[in-house]
Amino acid sequence: MFEQGNVETLIVLQPIAVDTDSPDREGRLVIANGLLVAVLVRLAEPEHDNVGSWFFEVGFGRLQGKKAPTFLSLEDATRWLRRHLKPA
Amino acid sequence: MQQALTRKLESFEPLSEQARWALNGLTLKVRQVGARQDLIQEGDKPDNVLLILDGFACRYKMLPDGQRQIMALLVPGDFCDLNVFILDEMDHSIGTISTCQVVDIPRRAIDEITAHHTSIARAFWWCSLVDGAVLREWLVNMGGRAPGQRIAHLLCELLMRLEAVGRVTDNSYAFPMTQTEIAETMGLSDVHVNRTLRELRALGLIHLKGRVLTILDVERLKAFCSFAPNYLHLRNTRWGERRDLSWPGTAEA
Repeated sequence: MFEQGNVETLIVLQPIAVDTDSPDREGRLVIANGLLVAVLVRLAEPEHDNVGSWFFEVGFGRLQGKKAPTFLSLEDATRWLRRHLKPA
Repeated sequence: MQQALTRKLESFEPLSEQARWALNGLTLKVRQVGARQDLIQEGDKPDNVLLILDGFACRYKMLPDGQRQIMALLVPGDFCDLNVFILDEMDHSIGTISTCQVVDIPRRAIDEITAHHTSIARAFWWCSLVDGAVLREWLVNMGGRAPGQRIAHLLCELLMRLEAVGRVTDNSYAFPMTQTEIAETMGLSDVHVNRTLRELRALGLIHLKGRVLTILDVERLKAFCSFAPNYLHLRNTRWGERRDLSWPGTAEA
């Protein structure tokens, strides 16, 4: 669905505030070829191990239920998302 | 420390002097195992029954992607499978969480003590049945409760289980699990565990500092997660009423 021939998936990160019932609020909707596939949230609560990094809050479709590490940057997150969106 | 087993079994039924003496004979060779060490691995052939006298251990499985799932916590007085030697090989691993005092009990010693003391045989059965009941409750917990209730339920369960073996003082107990280990136990991410513990603290339900967990309001925490201790079948503790359970035709040993 996401990879057609050599055309790379277009990933758009759209800023959004997320209610996580914690200070972790700043988020990104991850839109791949026009479909919402995940929500990333920046860890802000000081007691997290990796404050400032990006957490894969939830995934849809192929990413549903996936466990991901936290990412130091949105570029790292996008690289991981791109890899896991590819057909198996 | 040796008394963890006797205390646990006596929360099920009173034991005679001889039975207690025989049980103490099982726990002569105690060894200390450091934190985060495997006691037995998936695929190993089990020879002895392991008994935890101090510390926390767990049953776990590793998934192909390196993820770990903890399926049970073993606390003082808990056997790591009483009848495991009947099976050919371990279908999961058992590892320590904190430093543990562990006893290896040869299967022969288990056979002998149960043959000579019906009260102990019955108490051992009770241990195995309660292990199954706890596993069932954990299934309900993982499949049916939201993260906050799920973790609260585990903390209530540990309070009861540790109190039965004398490891609770003023509703506080040693809680050596890291956030990652809680996550591996509860099927949650580290981040969700962190947020959830924060929520439980903010609600004034728990206090967690220096690996000591204090339940600030037991009744509220139990109400928060609808905790019903029936599945632990603890009858000689403050949580359970003592019921008469004499089996017809059995002589007390």
